[in-house]
Parts: sequence; structure tokens; C-alpha cells
Amino acid sequence: MTITQAPARTTTAPAPTPRRRVPLEPYLYLLPHAVLFFLFTVYPIGYGLYISLHRWDLLNPVKTFVGSEFYRNLFTPGTPQADFFWKTLWNTTFFTIVSVPLLLIAALGLALLLHRPIFGRTFFRAVFFMPGILTVSVMGILWRWMFDNQIGLVNAARMVLASAPPIPWLSTEGLAWVPIVVGTVWWTVGFNMTLYLAALGNVPVSLYEAASLDGATPWQSLRFITIPLLAPVTLFVFVTTALASFQLFGQSLLITNGGPSRSTQSVIQYITEEGFTNAQYSSAAAMGFAFGLIMLIFTAAQFGLMARDVKGDEG
Amino acid sequence: MTTTAPVRRVRRRRMPRDLPRFLLLCVLAIIFLAPVYWMISTSFKTEADAISLPVQWIPSRPTLDNYREVLTSPDGNILRWTGNSLYVALAFTVLHVALCALTAYPLARMRFPGRNAWFWFILSSLMIPGIVTLIPTYIMMLNFNWINSYHALIWPGLSGVFGVFLLRQFFMGIPRELEEAARLDGANSLQILWRIILPLSIPSLATLAVFAFMGSWNNFLWPLFTVTDVDKMTLPVGITTFSQRYVTEYGKLMAATTLAAVPALIAYLLAQRFLESGLSTTGLKE
Repeated sequence: MTITQAPARTTTAPAPTPRRRVPLEPYLYLLPHAVLFFLFTVYPIGYGLYISLHRWDLLNPVKTFVGSEFYRNLFTPGTPQADFFWKTLWNTTFFTIVSVPLLLIAALGLALLLHRPIFGRTFFRAVFFMPGILTVSVMGILWRWMFDNQIGLVNAARMVLASAPPIPWLSTEGLAWVPIVVGTVWWTVGFNMTLYLAALGNVPVSLYEAASLDGATPWQSLRFITIPLLAPVTLFVFVTTALASFQLFGQSLLITNGGPSRSTQSVIQYITEEGFTNAQYSSAAAMGFAFGLIMLIFTAAQFGLMARDVKGDEG
Repeated sequence: MTTTAPVRRVRRRRMPRDLPRFLLLCVLAIIFLAPVYWMISTSFKTEADAISLPVQWIPSRPTLDNYREVLTSPDGNILRWTGNSLYVALAFTVLHVALCALTAYPLARMRFPGRNAWFWFILSSLMIPGIVTLIPTYIMMLNFNWINSYHALIWPGLSGVFGVFLLRQFFMGIPRELEEAARLDGANSLQILWRIILPLSIPSLATLAVFAFMGSWNNFLWPLFTVTDVDKMTLPVGITTFSQRYVTEYGKLMAATTLAAVPALIAYLLAQRFLESGLSTTGLKE
């Protein structure tokens, strides 16, 4: 600081008017993070684009420019890249479409059950929240086994309760989604429940009292007071849950390994397979960009939705 | 619990009406706990009992063999993986919270050209899906010779900006008078940050630390591909190698997953209040 001040003092006559000088200090605070931000966020985006436009071979130092070839592959029917990319993208979308409503409704249901005081409330909250802290591999291994084709607990329960034959959940196309979706709901519903519980705590009790004086049934209170007042949280939960569902990777990798015949493979698993297993880095980078772009549009639309909602609240 | 008498009377009167709700919650709790109970119970069963039908809810011949074998397995060392996870998560958390605080401080409390531009520039990266940088960052790790090193698990994630946003919001709410008083006493900006801003921000720093730790601890995709050396693996990745090896040996597999779940369960019991309140405030406070 003293160094920058020194020349200022020697210039011209005494000038008590505060001089506008650019301070160095704030930039020094920003510097460490900025270095990492450029290195690991900004640079990889450009580098990835470069990789996707060249034929990237780790062993070959010459990276041939191929332009949009790897992007065009995605739109060329018959190439495995086109077939599997769109198939796994649809799988991921399907998972999102199925799991998001479940994760919203189940979370709201649990929150409503736990909102009013009840014996053991803290315990129940903990029970529903707890699975979410498990790492995805514990969750995946556990649910693969719960739905094991032969001796999984689900099949065992069917056998005992209904003397029904075991169902080969994991190796039947279509059914293989059941363990993934059920496991995911079990795993993450507690997070959404907590958000709903916080929001329910902010709903003024007087509204319900007024409604019940007017003879409203509990269902009407729910329908006309609770749900409308929860709309901003619902939107927030919807956005975060949908974005998380599009990131599907570990659950299907560990429960079904994407099978049978890629019917539950997520697009991220396919991209990693193309990149890391097949060493097709350029192709995988192109797919990363393509999927990233789709996600970006989706995210922007949802942020727009949220922004509009926030504005609507203020106006 | 310090419930007052009238409240308790009301609650008792309500109990019969609440009974169906209570029973429903019990059923749901049993369903939620069943997989975890099953995992723990099976970890104490012999292989024969683990797959016997009808299902054995309580191990008929409880044994610690599964744990003994898993802990001494030559295929991988759960304790070592736990240590790796702990090291990586702690290093990441400390560095991340420090970086976020340093970055959030001028963005919240100083005036300088480019402040808002920089804030929005880094914030906009929240929109970029992680998959975009996956392959290029991996190739950077290859170039840095960081594959199979802890560096790959720590450094790239430190460029994240959500924590900057979180702390900036909190720092902005701190009364300016405190800062001005300190400045009159001759404190420089670093002293103000260290003596005034940070002590007042402990709740939000702790929230950020809990989330950073959990995020790093549970990270799966990135360590799965950047660390292939069994000794360097983190717990979530290491445990999947067991699942590939002991695919039909359920007792051992469940002993391994139980061991993998224990640190998270302990952490959860210790940080439960923080975690849940942190989640509900960070998510919703605008």
C-alpha cells in the first residue's frame, strides 16, 4: 500500500480531495480462487471443444483436425455413437420423468405427516433423511441385493406373503427400472422432505384456523391453502430434483450395470464408457458437449421459470 | 423436552386422532429401515444363512467371520480406503472453505472495478453441467501426471463457486459499523476478515464445511475413473471393487457395505441438526 501512496504524495500541490485509485487488495483476495477457476472451469471448456474437434489419441502426438465429425456421428443413424447416445439419453429422460413426480409427492406426503407434532417426530425425520447420507455405492449394492433375482428381500417377501414366484427384476427389460427408481426414492426423498418441512413451518397457522371456521375439510385446506402456498418450494424442489435426476450415473451403474441390453444405461455412463473404456476421448468429449448443451437449455428454462416465479411473488 | 403443561394436555387429547398418522409413520419407518437392518443383519450371518429361505430376520448363528475376512482381505483394505477418503475430504473441505471465504470477502465488502462482473462471471459457471469438463479435465490429469494421486481428487473441485455465493450472501448481512470501528482502531482488511467477519459467520462456514465434506466424501464418478490404484482408492470406489469380487457372497459384501456406511452414519448423528437446518436454509434463503 505504501508504495502506491508514495508517488501520489509527491504530485503537484497539496490535494486533499480523495483520489480515485484502483485498489490492489480485493484482487489479491480473488486471485487464488481465480487461478483455480480459470484452470479447472474455464480452460477445460475450451480444451474440451478442441479435443472434440480433433481425433484425440493418447498414444499419437499428432491430433488431426476433424471438424464436426464426432458431432455429426451423433446424427448418423447406424453408428454406435448415434444409437447408444440417443438411447441412453432417452433412458436418463425416462428415469427423470418417472422419479421426479415420485420424489415430489412422496416428499410432500412425508412432510405433511411429520409437520404437526407427533410422538417420535425427531426419530421419524431422522429415519427418512438418513438414507441420503449413504454414499451411492452403499445404496447401489444394497438395492441390487434387495431386488436380487433369486434371494433378494423383495422376492423373499413376495414368496412369504403371497407365495409368488421370484421375479427376475434385474434382468428383465423395463422391470430393471424398478430397483433403480425405488432405491433412488428411498435414497433422496428425505432431502426434499426437509425442504418441505421448512416451508410448512412458514405457513401461518391462522389461515388454517380461518378455513376451519369456514367449515373447510382437511382436504380442502390442503388443496386451497397448503399446496398453493408451497408452490415456490415445489418449484425449487422440482428444479433441483430434475437436474439431479439427469445426472443419473451411480444408481444404474451399480444396481443393473446399465442392463439388460443397455435398457437402464444412463447417458453419463455411456459417455464414460466411450471415453474411459473405449478410449474414444474425442467422441466422448463431443457427447459431453451435446449432453451439456441439452442440460444447459433445460437448466436455463428452469432458472427462467424460477426467476419468473420470484418476480411474481414480489409483484 | 421442555413442553409446558397446557401443550402436553392438548397433545394427549389429540393422540387418538393422531394414532392413524402415527401408525402410518411407523410402517413407513419400518420400510425405510428394512434395507439397512437387512444389510447389518446379513453381515453377521454365515453364507448359508444369508441366502436361506425363509428369510432369517435375526442371524441364527451370528458370526464375525465376514468382518474378519473383509478387514483382512488381500483384495483391498477398507481401513485404508476410509483413511484416503478422510484425508481427501478434510483437505478439500479446509481448502474449499478458505478459498470461498477469501473470494467472498471482497465481493461482499469491498468496492472495486469489476466486482459485479467477476461475481456474475463465476456464478454463471453454475449453469455449466459437469459432464462438459469431464473428459478434458481427465486429460489434464493425465498431462499433469495426477492420475492415481490425491491431487486429482482435491484440486479440480476447488474451482467450485456455490460456496462463494453462499458466503457472499452471508457476509453482506454483517453490519458495517463493526468493520468501521475496527478500521478506526487500525485494523487492516485481513484482520477485519479474520477477527470480525469470520467469527460472525461461523454458522454459514460450518454449513459450507459440512456440505463440502459430504460432497467430497460421497464423490463417486470422478474418483472412479481417476484412481484405479487399489491403495489410493476412496471408500465409495473401493467398496465397489468388493461388490464385483464378492458378487454372490452376500455376508461379506454386506459386512463391507456396513463398514462403508458407518463413518457416514456417525457423522450424520453428530451433525444431524446442522445438516438438516443447513439444507433447509441454504436452499431457500434468497
